[in-house]
Amino acid sequence: MSNLNSIQYFIPELFLTAAILALIIVDLFLKRKQKSIIAYLSAAASLVAGFLAYQQFSLPATSIFQGMLVLDSFAIFFKILAAFSTVIVVFISLDKFRETAEYFILLLIVTLGMFIMPAVNDILMIIIAMEIVGLISYVLAGIHKTDLKSTEAALKYMIYGAVSTGIMAFGFSLIYGLTGHTNLYDIQMTLASGHVNSVAMFIAFMMVLAGLGYKIAMVPFHFWVPDVYEGAPTPVTAFLSVGPKAAGFALFIRFLVTIVAHPSSGAADTFVQNVDIQAPFLIAVLAVLTMTLGNFSALNQKNIKRMLGYSAIAHVGYMVMALVVFNKDAFGAIMFYMIVYLFMNFGAFWILESLSSKLGGEDIEHYKGLGYRDSFTAVSMAVFMFSLTGLPPLAGFIGKVYLFAAVIKQGWLILALLGVLNSVVSLFYYVSVVKAMFLKQDDELAPIQTSLYHKIMVLILVVPTLVLGVYWSPVIEFTTNSIGLFFGR
Amino acid sequence: MEANQILFIAIALLTVLSAAVVAFSNKIIHSAFALLATFTGFAMLYVYLSADYLAVTQIIIYVGGILILIIFGVLMTHKIYSTTKKTAHNSILVSLLGGVLAAGLILFIISLNPWAANIAKDFSPTTAVIGKEILTNYLLPFEIISVLLLGALIGAIFIARQEDKEK
Repeated sequence: MSNLNSIQYFIPELFLTAAILALIIVDLFLKRKQKSIIAYLSAAASLVAGFLAYQQFSLPATSIFQGMLVLDSFAIFFKILAAFSTVIVVFISLDKFRETAEYFILLLIVTLGMFIMPAVNDILMIIIAMEIVGLISYVLAGIHKTDLKSTEAALKYMIYGAVSTGIMAFGFSLIYGLTGHTNLYDIQMTLASGHVNSVAMFIAFMMVLAGLGYKIAMVPFHFWVPDVYEGAPTPVTAFLSVGPKAAGFALFIRFLVTIVAHPSSGAADTFVQNVDIQAPFLIAVLAVLTMTLGNFSALNQKNIKRMLGYSAIAHVGYMVMALVVFNKDAFGAIMFYMIVYLFMNFGAFWILESLSSKLGGEDIEHYKGLGYRDSFTAVSMAVFMFSLTGLPPLAGFIGKVYLFAAVIKQGWLILALLGVLNSVVSLFYYVSVVKAMFLKQDDELAPIQTSLYHKIMVLILVVPTLVLGVYWSPVIEFTTNSIGLFFGR
Repeated sequence: MEANQILFIAIALLTVLSAAVVAFSNKIIHSAFALLATFTGFAMLYVYLSADYLAVTQIIIYVGGILILIIFGVLMTHKIYSTTKKTAHNSILVSLLGGVLAAGLILFIISLNPWAANIAKDFSPTTAVIGKEILTNYLLPFEIISVLLLGALIGAIFIARQEDKEK
C-alpha cells in the first residue's frame, strides 16, 4: 500500500508520536511540583493508543508503507499488550519518578518501539524497532545517575546489547546476501524456492538468534539479566521483564514464520521450514538450557529482584519451548502466557517496589514475618509466587498447561517432561519467599501500614491472577482470534 | 597486475593495518588517530563498490564528525597521554583462536553459496536513486528513525546534565 494511503492504518502510532512531542512541550511549562501531570498524561496517552489499536482489530489484514509493516490481528494483540503494560508501569513508577518527567516520555518512546516491533515486515524495520526499544531501555536502566548499581546495569546492558545487535545485523546481511531481498515475504518466497545453501542459512539463523535471544533473555544471551534486573530501579526492571520481552517474542514469532518457515499448503495452522536447518531441534535445546539455567541459578539467590531475574529467564525457557512446534496452537499459548505473566510479574515487582523502603531492603530475609505485619500484601505476594511456579488453581497453571499441551500434541514428550521437572525445581525458590513471610515469626517487628494506593494496585494485579486460573475462556478466545498472520508485500 | 588491482590492495592494506594499530596500540591517542586512516580506507573501498554516496557519507559523518568527537574527548581528558590501558591484553591464544574461527566461518559461508545480487561494475552516481528511495519506498524507516534520535537525544541529555542544586 502506498505511503499516503497507509497513514489511516497507522493512527495508534501517529497518536503516540504526537503525544510524545506534546508531552515534551508541556513539560517545559510545568513547575517541579507539577511534574506528576506528565505521568498521568503518559498513562492516558498509552491507554488511548491501546484503544486505537483495538479499533483496528477487525480491519482486514494488509501490509502498509510499501511493505515495511503489516497490519494483522497478531500485531494488534501485541500492541494492546504493550500499551497496557506501559500503563501499569507508569502507575508502578509514579511514586519514585514523580519529579522526573523525562522518564515517562522515554517510556512512551519505548512503547512506540513496541508498537512497531510486532508489525515489522522488513529487515530494516526489525533493526530500527529493536534499536528504539533497546537504546531507550539502556537510559531507563541507568536513570538513577548517582546510584552505582544502576549505572553499572545501564553500562552492561548497553555493551551486551550493542554486541548482540551487531551480530544480528551481520546475520541479516547474510540473509540479504543469500536472497537479495529485505522484505520478509520476498525472503520467504526466495528461500522456499530452493537454491539457498542450508549451512549458510543455518549460520545466518544463529547470528540473528543472538539479537533476538538477547531481547527475550534466552540462554546463551542472558548474561545481562541478573545484573540489570538487580541494578535497575524496580519499576524499570518490571517494565523490562514484560513489555519489551513480549514485543521480542512477537518479533521472534514473526521471524520464525517468515524467514525460517512458511505456512504449509496442507494444514493451514502449521508451518514448514523454508530451508531445512533443524530449527525446531535447535530451539528445543536452547529452551531446555534456558529454563534449566534460569531455575538452578535462582535457587540460591538472596536478593528477590535477582531471583526474579533468573526466574524470568526460566519463564522465557517455557515460552521458547512452545516455539519448537511451529504451529498456531503454540503461538496462542505463548500469547496467553504473556498476558498471565504480565499480571503475576508486575504484581511481584509492585510489592517489591512499594515495600522495599518500609522493609529496609529487597532480600528474602527482609520479608521475614511479613505475613504477621501486613497479611494482605503477604498473601498477595504468596499468590504471585505460587502463580509463577504454576500451581493450580492460579493463572500461571493454566498458562503452563497450554504451553505444555501445544508441545505434547506434536510428540515432543521429553521436552515437555524436562519443562515439568523444571517447574518442580522452581517451586523451591518461590516457596522460600513464602516461607520467610509466614513461617518465620518475629514479634519485635511492628505491623506495616500501607497506603490505599498500594492496596488498589495489588488488587488490580492479584484479581486477574486468581480469576484467570478458574475462568479463562474469554481470554483464550481473544488470543485465538489474534493469530491472524499476514504474509505479503 | 593492473593498476586497478594494485590500488585496491594498497587501500585494503591501509585499512587493515590501521585497524590493527587501533586494536593493538597501548595509547588511546594512537588508536584514535589510526582510526582516521581506517575510516578513510573504508570510504575508498565504498568507492570501489561504486557506492559514491556511502563513501561521501562515511567521510562526512565518521571522519568529519564522530572521529573529531573522539579526538576531542581524548584531548580534553586529563593526563590522557600518559595513561596506558588498565586491562591487560587477554590471552593471545584465545583471542587468536576466536578470530581465526570467526574468519574461517565467514570464508566458509562465502565459498559455499551462490550469492544473489551482482554488483554493477560500472560507476554511476547513486545519490539521486537513494534520495528517491528514501522518500518513497523507505519513507517510514526514515521518519521513525527521527523518533529514535529524539529519544536518544533526551536520554543523552538526561544522563549527561548536572542536577540542579536548588531543591
